[in-house]
Amino acid sequence: MTINDRIFGILILVVAVAYGWTATQFPEPFGGSEAVDSGTFPIVIAVVMALSSLYLIVRPDPDNHWPATRTALELLLAVVVLIAYTLLLQPLGFILATLLAIGTLCWRMGAPPLRAYIVGAVSGVVVYLLFTLALGLALPTGVLDVLEGL
Amino acid sequence: METLGFLMDGFAVALAPQNLLFALIGAFLGTLIGALPGLGPANGVAILIPLAFTLGLPPETALIMLTSVYAGAMYGGRISSILLNIPGDEPAMMTCLDGYPMAQQGKASEALAISAIASFIGSLIATIGLIILAPILARFALTFGPAEYFALFVLAFATLGGITGKNPVKTILAAAIGLAIATVGIDSTGTQRYTFGILELYEGVDFIIAIVGLFAISELLFFIEEHAGGGKAQMAVNRLKMSWKDIRMILPSSIRGGILGFISGVLPGAGASLGSFVGYTIEKKIVGSRGYFGKGDPRGVAGPEAGNNGASSGALVPMLTLGVPGSGTTAVLLALLISMNITPGPLMFTQHADIVWGVIAALLVGNFLLLVLNIPLVGIFVKLLSVPPMYLLPIVTMVAFVGIYSISNSAFDLYFMVAFGVFGYFLRKLEIPMVPIILGLLLGPEMESNLRHTLDISDGDWTALWSSGLSIGLWIVAIIGLILPYIVGPILRRRMGEAKESSRPVD
Repeated sequence: MTINDRIFGILILVVAVAYGWTATQFPEPFGGSEAVDSGTFPIVIAVVMALSSLYLIVRPDPDNHWPATRTALELLLAVVVLIAYTLLLQPLGFILATLLAIGTLCWRMGAPPLRAYIVGAVSGVVVYLLFTLALGLALPTGVLDVLEGL
Repeated sequence: METLGFLMDGFAVALAPQNLLFALIGAFLGTLIGALPGLGPANGVAILIPLAFTLGLPPETALIMLTSVYAGAMYGGRISSILLNIPGDEPAMMTCLDGYPMAQQGKASEALAISAIASFIGSLIATIGLIILAPILARFALTFGPAEYFALFVLAFATLGGITGKNPVKTILAAAIGLAIATVGIDSTGTQRYTFGILELYEGVDFIIAIVGLFAISELLFFIEEHAGGGKAQMAVNRLKMSWKDIRMILPSSIRGGILGFISGVLPGAGASLGSFVGYTIEKKIVGSRGYFGKGDPRGVAGPEAGNNGASSGALVPMLTLGVPGSGTTAVLLALLISMNITPGPLMFTQHADIVWGVIAALLVGNFLLLVLNIPLVGIFVKLLSVPPMYLLPIVTMVAFVGIYSISNSAFDLYFMVAFGVFGYFLRKLEIPMVPIILGLLLGPEMESNLRHTLDISDGDWTALWSSGLSIGLWIVAIIGLILPYIVGPILRRRMGEAKESSRPVD
């Protein structure tokens, strides 16, 4: 099967055309047009991109196989965990967010759940202390704010 | 003689207590990064860049630390080749051929010690080569005009896939994607390009975010996919029994490997893989029937190790003198330079002489540190090999998050990093190389400004890009670099495969 490269080629071709077309629409520089304007370089890139994507469509390489449904769901979960980690970093604070995110990742990669979350907690605390005490950098404390006064 | 004076000044920088300390930390972290599963040198250096920023290190200290990491990673890579028969990266493949059989025969610590000594000799030779060659090349590069630079950048992309590269079109496509991402933001004339009115994009895409995302996050996804969280069984390491005779035996192999490695490191498109491959095959030819290559000959460990380390120091020559890196890791080092507002290239040798020579001296110092660290501490590094990736990779991911977050305190950057990670996963599935994308991101602005200068001078005449003898030469090399992999690539890859097949231990 050679469908991957073809689909990717078509996608890139579309991007290249859109990218190149946008480049022709940039406003003319102040003081009239020059030999080179802001669009010149992007247009060159768009042409190179379009030509190489056409080559991929015409002469694709054999496919690598994609993960089975279960593994694909695991991958999706990992990405969701990373997004959630970012989302929770401020409100929950670094230590709790790390405990949840890193713990979940370790667990899903095959560690026993309890040990996974312990690793998450320990690594969160260690990195937090390292950054705030040793390097003097503020990581968000979040809901653990109350402990600050202790 | 002038060079010697600069080098002395460089030593003054490298031996300053703070720099020496960070060189030591770098060497240790580098060996760790090289030894740990799933952390290539480029990946490791990329994760450490934001940390170098948050530490608020002066540029020379940061650069010294990260070059030590780079050198250390090359040392560390051999540990998993020898003990587990798993090369950490492509150049380490040839070390498996004789290193693993040695370990199977209960001579693991000899193999590790030999490879450390050979690595040291290879790096030492290549660093001396760098000291001699770099100023000459830098002076020559001062004659380059914008057209020559533009051609040079094209050459860098064309040869990046390397002679062993698979599909040159994918390299070009990747470079174009990188260059396209580099055009996002406000350009030199004040025009907004591809910002879609998003404030965070006005400054362009931060390449450090892209690098960390493409390397670190996609690596995590790959490990999850391959269910490779379990890690490998540990191999016992015996007590070291080595005499001067053993060292004398591998000395010629190491010297030859180091010289060959340096040459292939400097040449565009050859790189460390070729360095270690040439180092091994030449050794096999020279020693001939007196050797027992593939069955645990120490010279089969020394040759490729010296070659691989020689090449990695050699690769610094084009990066420092021309601002054009020849490998993924040197591209990451270039990213560090650019983000510290140091423009790499010939002018760096005059404008930032202290930094350049400090780094070169630090390479020499770092090599001694590595040798001293590696022989007694190898036991620690071996233990670390058995850290299962299911704990390691999530923690590495967390360090990447902290690093990126500490640069800007912005959640937007973290989302961007995750997006680059997912993008990187798909690219790796499609076998589209990521290094050209990073190089495109890094060199894009310079390339465009050189194109603008050339065309402004010639009043829009595009033939100005190939009007001087030098630029024509560069274009020709670039074209050869693109065509050669089609002809030589399959042959070389087959030979490397055969070498691996024929030496597989019969058990």
